[in-house]
Amino acid sequence: MPKVKPHRNSPSIDMTAMCDVAFLLLTFFMLTAKAKPMEIVEVDTPSSISETKLPDVGTLTILVGADGKVYLDMAGSHTRRELIEQMNSQYPMNLTEKEMVQFANSGAFGVPRNRLKSWLDVEPSQRDKFVSPGIPTDTTDNQLAPWIHNARLAQFKMKQEGKVKEEYVIVVKADASTPYDAIEEVIHTLTDINVNKFNLITSMEVNPNKVGAMGGGEK
Amino acid sequence: MAEMQVKDSGGGKGKPKKMSTRVDLTPMVDLGFLLITFFMLTTTLSKPQIMALVMPDKDVKLEDLEPVKEGKVLTLLLGANDKVYWYEGITDAKLDSTDYSAEGLRKVILNKMDKVQSTYGQDTYNDIKTKEEKKGSFINVIIKPTKESRYKNLVDALDEMAITHVRYYVILDVSDLEREFMKHPEKGLNFSAEEQVDANTTK
Repeated sequence: MPKVKPHRNSPSIDMTAMCDVAFLLLTFFMLTAKAKPMEIVEVDTPSSISETKLPDVGTLTILVGADGKVYLDMAGSHTRRELIEQMNSQYPMNLTEKEMVQFANSGAFGVPRNRLKSWLDVEPSQRDKFVSPGIPTDTTDNQLAPWIHNARLAQFKMKQEGKVKEEYVIVVKADASTPYDAIEEVIHTLTDINVNKFNLITSMEVNPNKVGAMGGGEK
Repeated sequence: MAEMQVKDSGGGKGKPKKMSTRVDLTPMVDLGFLLITFFMLTTTLSKPQIMALVMPDKDVKLEDLEPVKEGKVLTLLLGANDKVYWYEGITDAKLDSTDYSAEGLRKVILNKMDKVQSTYGQDTYNDIKTKEEKKGSFINVIIKPTKESRYKNLVDALDEMAITHVRYYVILDVSDLEREFMKHPEKGLNFSAEEQVDANTTK
């Protein structure tokens, strides 16, 4: 083809608009989404095909690390306040008002009762340096059972007072390589205090029964 | 290519030089999207998944126990190193082992389901949500995790229950008899129904 295409000025696109959109989206995400909270223990949950999502209601989370240490976390500062007041009166922990307020605003903890006071005295920003020994769950000194039992009672009381809507959903978040020993102790603790229904947190896994549905349309 | 014409003010100091600078904005856009992706991934927009677990009541009365034909029962013993030991029924039980892959445990369960279907047929039940009649297997699976197994093994076993649609399964403790059986499978399992009832009602 001997015809030479006449040279055209290459059109230049003004990228400023694209840049504006990018920063707008960025600002949106920065302001509307909550940051992932600093976890007390890194847990790599096993995968399962289950697709049920964690409900929005208050949860009582039992975290079990790969080393078998047990930590506890419950949602709702009102319930936490009620819980710590009850625990303080039932067991010799000698907590001050300030420490109880600290507890109501804290998250997961993994210390035996006699060390709770010193844990609460540590500044929240310094807490990640504190090495937690975990809550004892052995049969001779099961401290997990009174915590969960009183937490459920506290949440029930808050529900009656109208401060929360639902009772606690009990959730177990354990690492995939946790030895079954530690899990068995947690499960026995729960069945001993008549908690027979609880949930395990798992990560996403493809359901082999549904794989065909994507391409072939067969169920 | 992006262009941004910046006219340098030529007049003033008597320097008549006029320079036009062009700034390419493509890297700026790249940076913007990189930051967006970072924030999208590090913030919690998606909730974690849960798997419901229901355990039997600790105070089980003898009158409440329903006997199950041993031909319908498959027992899984979750062992160390991601191995599953299994046996059928309680009379002349033979210990076999498999792994958690699709060809392993799932095949064992499906084979047992076929056996149960050929002997006892299928179970008809009403779906909880849609109330329509459905057919399922009569198979009863007992999952007994040992202390040497990992938590992942239990979750995988429960997953297989969901994938193969096993409706009757329970998690129980490993008995000393079974521990002996795992160590010496050739000696057989000296189980007795009375002992089993005893073990699960006096706890």
